[in-house]
Amino acid sequence: MPLLFTGFNAFGQHECISRDVDCAAGFSEINAPVSTQNQCTISIGFRYAALAFGRKLWLRGLLDDGPNECVTLKAAGDIKALAAGDSHCLVLLESGQLYRVQPKLQAELLVVRLEAPPRSNSGTKRSFFGAPKAPSSPIIEHIACGSHINVAVSSENAVFSIPSCLHQFAERQFRVKQLQCGHEHAVLLNVNGDVFTWGNGLRGQLGQPVLKVEETPQLMEALAGIKITQIAAGGWHSAAISAFGDLYTWGLNCSGQLGMRVMKPGGFLKEPTVYPLPQLQDLPECGCSKEAKSNEHDDDDCAPLRVFAGSRHTLLTRRCGRLWASGWCQHGQLGTQLQNRSYMDAFQALDGIRLNTCSDDVLCGPWSTLLSLKGSGN
Amino acid sequence: MESEFLLLTKLLPRWKDIENVIQDEVEARYILKRATDHMENLQSRGDSQAEESRYLVCALVDRNWERIHTGHFSQVPLITRKIYALACYFKIFFLLLESTSPAQKELCSGILDEAQLLGCMDDWTELKAALMDYLDKGGDRDSVTLPILEPLTRISCTCDIPQLEAPSLEEFQTKCFQAGQPTLLLNTIQHWPALDKWMNLNYLLQVAGNRTVPIEIGSNYASDEWSQQLVKIRDFLSRQFGGDTNKTNQEIEYLAQHELFSQIPALKKDISIPDYCSISKENPPEAVDIKAWLGPAGTISPMHYDPKHNLLCQVFGAKRIILAAPSDTDNLYPHESEFLSNTSQIDAAHLDLDSYPLLEKVKFYELLLQPGDCLYMPPKWWHYVRSEAPSFSVSFWWE
Repeated sequence: MPLLFTGFNAFGQHECISRDVDCAAGFSEINAPVSTQNQCTISIGFRYAALAFGRKLWLRGLLDDGPNECVTLKAAGDIKALAAGDSHCLVLLESGQLYRVQPKLQAELLVVRLEAPPRSNSGTKRSFFGAPKAPSSPIIEHIACGSHINVAVSSENAVFSIPSCLHQFAERQFRVKQLQCGHEHAVLLNVNGDVFTWGNGLRGQLGQPVLKVEETPQLMEALAGIKITQIAAGGWHSAAISAFGDLYTWGLNCSGQLGMRVMKPGGFLKEPTVYPLPQLQDLPECGCSKEAKSNEHDDDDCAPLRVFAGSRHTLLTRRCGRLWASGWCQHGQLGTQLQNRSYMDAFQALDGIRLNTCSDDVLCGPWSTLLSLKGSGN
Repeated sequence: MESEFLLLTKLLPRWKDIENVIQDEVEARYILKRATDHMENLQSRGDSQAEESRYLVCALVDRNWERIHTGHFSQVPLITRKIYALACYFKIFFLLLESTSPAQKELCSGILDEAQLLGCMDDWTELKAALMDYLDKGGDRDSVTLPILEPLTRISCTCDIPQLEAPSLEEFQTKCFQAGQPTLLLNTIQHWPALDKWMNLNYLLQVAGNRTVPIEIGSNYASDEWSQQLVKIRDFLSRQFGGDTNKTNQEIEYLAQHELFSQIPALKKDISIPDYCSISKENPPEAVDIKAWLGPAGTISPMHYDPKHNLLCQVFGAKRIILAAPSDTDNLYPHESEFLSNTSQIDAAHLDLDSYPLLEKVKFYELLLQPGDCLYMPPKWWHYVRSEAPSFSVSFWWE
């Protein structure tokens, strides 16, 4: 499973296989501690990266004193998901148990105890002898974190701001499809295609008309009625793709992360830095398959498919397998070929990358981008 | 290497000075240790590590810029703002090691201003002053000539609030502070050098021209058209006050609510904190926030209130002010959003009673603030302010 990386790696968070740049867009192959065919779980923090395979967990980067520090830990069971934050990394096991670990050389996995959600519908469970049963700890299915927010969602759709329970989605059929966090806000997508946001919305992150802090998940009215299939949360921005193949972005656009024009210093055109409501992005024609099949070319072949976001950058894959990007690129997060610019404020294709949309995956760190290629395409 | 620059490096914080400040900050420890090592051994070492150290310092600036912009500014830990300032200092020195061309100095002076605006530089004021001095030298600026403003003739007009002629501290305490009574104080800042000196805009240009400040663009901060930008005072002054006659599509820019005087100590010498600001329920009184308000005719602060005691002193120009009591808050239609909850949706200068019928119940007080006047406003008093001429006011907020 080749891992192609680009972006901030000054702490040795990722071990480069060679110093050479591997493909046209300026990604380099990095080493994963597991063998090539295996699927591993990765999450990228600012000063370290976390990687899990089976029960094993690796933390690598600046842990205590210097770069390239690495620790290996063993969890009580197989690891399902990781969320690497500034002060700790959340570790979710397949069993639904949640742990956290501090990124330091003396790292230890510690159980996260969550407050039990109020059980209004089922009543207190009683054992055979009539004594109330201690509430069992919730089974967690989704986790995400940012520097100011830590979120978990249980199998019964209880939403936790770790460790307290914020909200319970009451509908039986409610199923969470995706959960993502920015620095201080959360975005949740259910299988119906509804988007919920909460946390700090003072920079427009929540997609609500009024800039404020929301303690509990709020339905995004602006997207109500549009079936959303994919979401992403960047540092202070968010993005969504609809079943119609439309891309929406909202929040802070300080570095062009929304794909919207940035106001130039001394320039005459005024542009807002905050877009509180979702902006439909009119993407340039992809043009990738024109030569190949000019007669039967269909726009849908290049419709946006998935979206990903780092602190101040946004990436999207199109059905044709091409990767498009906008936002901050000072640290090479959009490939080293763009490193001489500080940002891009319109979506642009990254040359030389063609993903297998069925099997390849994209992951954003705060200032980096990682491609995990399982298919043959490159 | 210039000897003057070498002398400057002696003022840079040493590792032993900052080690304790940044104890638990893993990133800052690693990066600033490298940077201080590099700067403390400039003569004796080669440049092999310089590139990487320079990159790390820039990353530390970017990283702490992000941390400062996460959450509410008032909640950002002081240590984060100190690390930002430190990282900016080292970034400037690495840039100056590459080149000391005027363009590079200009770039560095912009970084220093950002460090001042976002960071906390209290521990290294000597370095800040010396660096500012060094960076300001040798620029090709001040080619513009600005007007010397004519003194305004004092207008006598109705004033809906009490006026007091240079009240004593006791008089101010009983009649204004304790009574919660907005009052116009006359002839209390006549001794400020600013009253004469600042009328010559070339003086402001010379002392402050090279500093970057936040400027509000658009006449009213609550409107959708409004935005904020970081601008050099020189550019702001020449755009808004320069001889350029073609002002038809020029936007109004306003240097508003900015702590200009901690940024430019030279200007602070031209004013003094009025004794009235020492009257407080707290003992000892908290620090006084001093803010500058400079702009052309037509700047508007929409009807809003502030949480502290406010003394608004007029240096030049005149301001039309409309006040309303805190007890009328429910009739003034504050905005819903958290940012603007202290701001009313109404246009106090043109009341629209059809859209905002409750305004009928509000008692408004009008006055004209003229050069040399001070307006005392108790906490939470609503105020609308519009400049009638090019205007410079200084406000003092205290608890």
